[in-house]
This record gives sequence, C-alpha cells and structure tokens, in this order.
Amino acid sequence: MNKEGARSMKKPLQGIRIADFTVHAAGPFCTHLLALLGAECIKVESYKRLDVFRKPHPVYGRMEAATFAQVAANKLSIQINLKEPRGVELAKRVVSVSDVMCESFRPGVMERLGLGYEALKAIKQDIIMLSVSACGQTGPERGHAGYAPLFGATGGLGTLTGYADGPPVELRHVMDHSTGLNAAAATLAALVRKKRTGLGQHVDLAAREVAASFIGDALLQFGASGKSPQRQGNDASMMAPHNVYPCVGKDAWVSIAVGNDKEWRALATTLGRADWLSDPGFADARKRWENRQALDTAVAAWTRCHSREDVTRMLQAVGVAAFPSYTAQDIADDPHLNERGAIQSLTGPEGASRKVVGPPWRFSRTPGKLETWMPEMGEHNEYVFGELLGLSTAEIETLVRDKVIY
Amino acid sequence: MSGAADRPALAGMVVIENAKGVAASYAGRLLALMGATVIKLEAPAEGDPLRREVPQVHESFATSAIFAYLNVNKSSVTLDLAKKEGQQLLGELLDRASIFIDDTHPSERSDLRIAPERICAQRPDLIYVSVLPFGAAGMHKDYHAYELNAFHSGGEGYLMPNGLALEMFPDRPPVKVYGHFAELNGGTSAVCATLAALMTDVGGQFVDVSVQDANVALSCFALQQLGEGVLENRHGRSFKYGGVLECADGYVQILTLEQHQWEGLVKLMGEPEWALDRALRDSLERSRRGAHINKHLRAWAKSQMVEDLVKRGQALSVPLAKYFEPADILASAQTRERAMFAKLQMTGLGEVPVLVAPFQSSAPETLKGCSKQPGADNPRIFCEWLGHSPSELERWTSVGAI
Repeated sequence: MNKEGARSMKKPLQGIRIADFTVHAAGPFCTHLLALLGAECIKVESYKRLDVFRKPHPVYGRMEAATFAQVAANKLSIQINLKEPRGVELAKRVVSVSDVMCESFRPGVMERLGLGYEALKAIKQDIIMLSVSACGQTGPERGHAGYAPLFGATGGLGTLTGYADGPPVELRHVMDHSTGLNAAAATLAALVRKKRTGLGQHVDLAAREVAASFIGDALLQFGASGKSPQRQGNDASMMAPHNVYPCVGKDAWVSIAVGNDKEWRALATTLGRADWLSDPGFADARKRWENRQALDTAVAAWTRCHSREDVTRMLQAVGVAAFPSYTAQDIADDPHLNERGAIQSLTGPEGASRKVVGPPWRFSRTPGKLETWMPEMGEHNEYVFGELLGLSTAEIETLVRDKVIY
Repeated sequence: MSGAADRPALAGMVVIENAKGVAASYAGRLLALMGATVIKLEAPAEGDPLRREVPQVHESFATSAIFAYLNVNKSSVTLDLAKKEGQQLLGELLDRASIFIDDTHPSERSDLRIAPERICAQRPDLIYVSVLPFGAAGMHKDYHAYELNAFHSGGEGYLMPNGLALEMFPDRPPVKVYGHFAELNGGTSAVCATLAALMTDVGGQFVDVSVQDANVALSCFALQQLGEGVLENRHGRSFKYGGVLECADGYVQILTLEQHQWEGLVKLMGEPEWALDRALRDSLERSRRGAHINKHLRAWAKSQMVEDLVKRGQALSVPLAKYFEPADILASAQTRERAMFAKLQMTGLGEVPVLVAPFQSSAPETLKGCSKQPGADNPRIFCEWLGHSPSELERWTSVGAI
C-alpha cells in the first residue's frame, strides 16, 4: 500500500503508482487529477531540468511561478538528473515499481534517453506509458514546439473563437488543462483495460488533436458541406438573447441565454416587457435571433441597473439560464463550490490557508481529496529511493554527491 | 490473454445514456469509443433536443452537426420515462448495464423514478453518473445553464479575450470560446469519474459530476494568482509581447517563453536593429517594453506569408503556429498520417470524415457508426436483447411509451 492509501480513506486509484516525468501545464494537470483520485504520483524533477512552471516567466508580466502549486499538490517529488547515465538507470527503477509512466518531452527524446515505450516494456511488461506532446508521437510535424495558444491555433479552436469582426483569440491555460483532462481520461481507460486484460499500452496524446475535438461539429460540417462556422462572438445560432451583459459594479457581467419560447416569455415578464410578447419582431426564435442586437441593447439597459447576483436570482427563479461572469475571487468565495469540495482550503508552507481547486467530482463511496501542499524539490527522495527502491543511505549519498540525484 | 491485445478498455460493458445535453452525451461518445455498448435513450417521436440544434451537418440534411458528432457508435432506443412501461423497460436495461449516465434536472428525477437513492438501492453494483451544470448537490443544483452560462461559471469567461482582440475591442463584453467548450470538458470530466469508479472494488456508486466544477478546475491558474494577491482580469493577463499576429494571408500565434526562443525569433526577423538592442536580451526588460516589441512584430508580420513563416520559425525552434481553418485541419499531412478522421456513411451524403478521438493508443479507438433515427434500435434492443415480443413493442408504441 502506498503512503497516501495508508493515511486516508479509500480512493478510486488507491494503490496505483505514477512515475511523472511531465513538466509545464498539460501533463502535470493530468497527473494532478490522477493524484486527486488517490494515485501515488511521484514527480521526477532535477535542477538540470527545472519544471518550466517552477520558474518565473516575465512574458506573463509577473515574476512568480505559474500554476505549479495548483497542479503539484498531492504529489511526491524526487530528483533524478537524466543527463547522467546512472540517472536514466534510476529512472528505470522508478518505472519498474510504477503502474503508469507519464512524460511530455518532445517526441523522440525518451527513445534517445533509453526510456521509450519498448525499453520500458522490457523493464515492466504491463507498464502504461502516457506521452503528451503538441502534435503527437508520429507525423511530419511531430517535432513542432507548442504551448497552449499554439495548440489552440493548430486545432482550429482559437481560429473559431473571437468577435465576428475581429482576429482569432489565443487560448490560455484552460487549453493546456483540457489537454491534461483528456490525458487523464485516456490514462484511466488504459488502467481499466489493464485491470481487465492485464495488458499495458502506450497512450499518445496530441494537444492539437484535443483542441480539434472541441470543434468536431464544425469539422464534420465542413467535411460534409464544405462550409464552416466562422467566429461569432457570443452568438449561438437561433438563441437570443444570448450574451454577456454589464451589471452594477466595475467590470461586472452576467451571462444570459434564452433557448425556447417558455424561457423567452419568462424573461420578458421579469424585465417588465410584456410588450415584447406581442412584438412581431420577437415572435419566434428566428425573429429574435435576427433582431438580437436590438434585444441585446434592451437587456443590457435593464441589467445595468442590477447586480449580477440579483439578475441571476431573478432569472433563475423563473427558469431562465443566467449566471455571473465569475472572477477567481467569486470562485474562491462561492459557497456552492466550497460545499461541494470543488474549492478547498489548504495550508501552505508559510502556514497560511490558501484556496485551491479540489476534485471536480463527488463519489458516494470512494471520494477523492486534496491533502498535501506542493512538495519541495526532492522532498521524497528518501522514501522513493530508500523505501521503494531499497537503496542504502550510502548509495543515496553517493548519487547525491555525483549529481545523479540532483 | 489470446486476442486481448486489440480489446478496447470497455469491451462488453453496457452504458445506458439518458442525455439531452452536450456534456452527458459527449461522455457517452467517449465511453463508446473506448469500446462500451452505449444505448442512448430518447423521447418517443421527437428524440433528443440536440437533434434540432443548428447548424446542420449539411443544409439539405436534417441532422444537427453537434448531434451527429456526439452520437457516433451508439444505439438509439425511445422511452417515455413518465410512463410506467417506460420506467419498467429502463429497469430492464439497467439490470444489464454497468453504467447509467443521466442529466435529468434534479427536480424531475423522483417523478421519473430515477432518483439516485432509488436506483442505487435497487442496483448497488451500478455506477450512476449524474452530469449537470452545477452538480446534483449544493445551493445551485437547480440552476439552469446553457454553454454560455456554464463557461462563465468556471472563471475563464471573465478572462476572455486577451491580446490583439482585446486591444481592438477593449470595451466589449467578454467573449466565449467557440462551441461547447465548457460542456465538452464537463463530459470528459464525467468520463474520468466513470473510469475511476470502475477502478474501485466497491461495486457501484453514485458519482456527481458538475460542468462548473470541471471548468473551475481547468481555471486553477487564476486561483493560484489570487492566492498570491493578484486578481486576474482580461487586460492584466495578456502576453506582454507576441500572441496573435496578422500576416499577409492569415494569422499566426507566437509565444517565446525561453531565452533561446526569443533569440530564434530575432533571427527569424532577420536581426533588425531594434531587436538587437542589448537591453532586450533581458527577459524582464522585454516584458517592460512589450508594447514597443509588439509594434515592430506586428508591422513585420504583415509582410510575411503564414506557411513560410511557420516553416522557417519551427526550424529555428520558435514556437509559432498557423491559425488553422477547418479546411487546413482536414488537408494537413499531420492529420492524414495520424488518421485523425474516419469516414462514416451518412444517409444522403455518402462518406463524411468524422474526427475520431482526442487521444490515440496501442488499443485503438475506432469509429463504427454514425447517429441514427430516434428508436432505430428498438426492435434489436427490446426484442432481441431483452427478449420481448414484437406485439409488446407494438403495444408500447401505441401508448407512446416507446
């Protein structure tokens, strides 16, 4: 039984161990989700190859590390220098006691290091290997570099996102994390398959293919008709009102969407605009959609006089979909999210309580949980190298001295 | 283990999908691609409301594009759960299933006799996956939401757009991501939860999935910033330089996080004098002079051709990519070599390429069939599989139960 399982109630992935060689956002978000589900996730790091997200990046306009703390919680940290041959051997030993190996190097790097799927299979026949990359492990563009905005571009999602009269819009960390979410789903499928057949496998996840999966409907439409949707702002075909409207307060917005006649009648009545119900310009969904700009103007004139919360309360009470455009502060403070455990408080190393994202699921019998703050670099060297791999203290000290454990 | 090598993860498992929304329906799609037998329940006659969502696959073809995309590899049966015959048939289906996916509004579940406590008591080995905009518990559980609302409930909506689009239209409302981004993520989150439940040894359980929870998790970056005293907004989080660039024949995206990537970009631009300024060797200084860099970058990009720029940029390890249109994706050599699409026969349209899955593995996901008419599989499922007679089928049809 791993450490995690011994000190908490049973979780879905209790007893599963992951050797996590991923860096940046997509791969670590995947292993973060698996760790929330109870897997013992051993993050492999090195001062020779610091996780990009442990470092500051001025291009973001700030000098703090990015999401590292959010996606490294619940994980263990060990140090292995893969530039040393003995480091590669050590990595193989970690894989040999793991169920899953995750990596996000450029395609080809793992093979060059001697850590490709075939090599790992020779060490552990039923290993599941997850490779996360921009374009996939095969194909003429497999070596292309990529970050979230680039996946979003090549996957077409960024192209179709934006105001109708404006440029495409770059997608940010949600694109990375969506990639990680899909990687988690694929890894879980491989784990279920292994449970049922005893077989391991190699999962090849290309971030641009994840981005393309969000426009699967547009791709299908184009493939069938040669026509494709264009950038359309907040419009949704045949739905009006369907937009984000200003409310009382600085940069305060509420989203309102009306999908059928019943909701339209409820909206008009709540806004005190019974006259709309007999207006031929708003007689059905098509007419309302054709006249959506006039509707938007009228709805915005009403929302400007109310708070986001009041608009939401009034409209939800009559069955109209409305919700504030949530800031991070709104999310941290939201009693619903806190009650569900989707937001949790965790004590950081400085002793202060921080709001962090918890598991996005509620299991009636095997709940996941966020329990530990992000580890210090190498915090679990002794447990992994000593307890799991059986190295003696002297052997570990030698590897530290030689910068293999570094 | 003979023959197991090609066996998909969920081969032999039956999933009953009672979905009217994108999230739950997408969960069914992914589980079907993983090898499960997914039986979709639809309302008699009218079927799933998503069948009527525009745009259609083709203007002369009634099926909506999103419905066709979501409902590959599934069987369709019709059931009216408000009728006792429908409830009885659902019970028979669930008796043979491992997983039940449902997105019925919480207030309607008891009347339809699909309340979680009831189903889980009857079938303790069943995994009941509830997929709702705000989950099945909590003060907002009864709230209604479409994609736009779900997206804004997760935090990313407030932060869109950034960069060039925001500079051009600073006073407009935030803009959503195309399509059903939040709901599709909710569906993938439901798949993670379902598969995790299959990994336990406790048998069945109730799994409460919320589209909002999934999107809040995806937006964890903003929460991290909040913990460090920064409340992110659209303006503050734009990249200081780079981002979307308009070229002579389209758009590219550029992002240089590392020093060597910046140096590659300088080479790509032909080492212009402004970029050789010694001060710009420092990443902090580049951040401070972001507007100045952007002015030059944008002017330079206008004279560049997209394909050529991407080719030369990638050769210099500059993270640079074209904003692909759907046509580019379908035509790309990368797409073809990786077999991202499979051709499915669609009535009246012939073979149509359909995106298979957002991941690939050595136990490959396969597309087998496109969406069907509501209840197309009633005889096969109710008669051949459950063992009912054709006359029973006729009687249930006559009372509107199927």
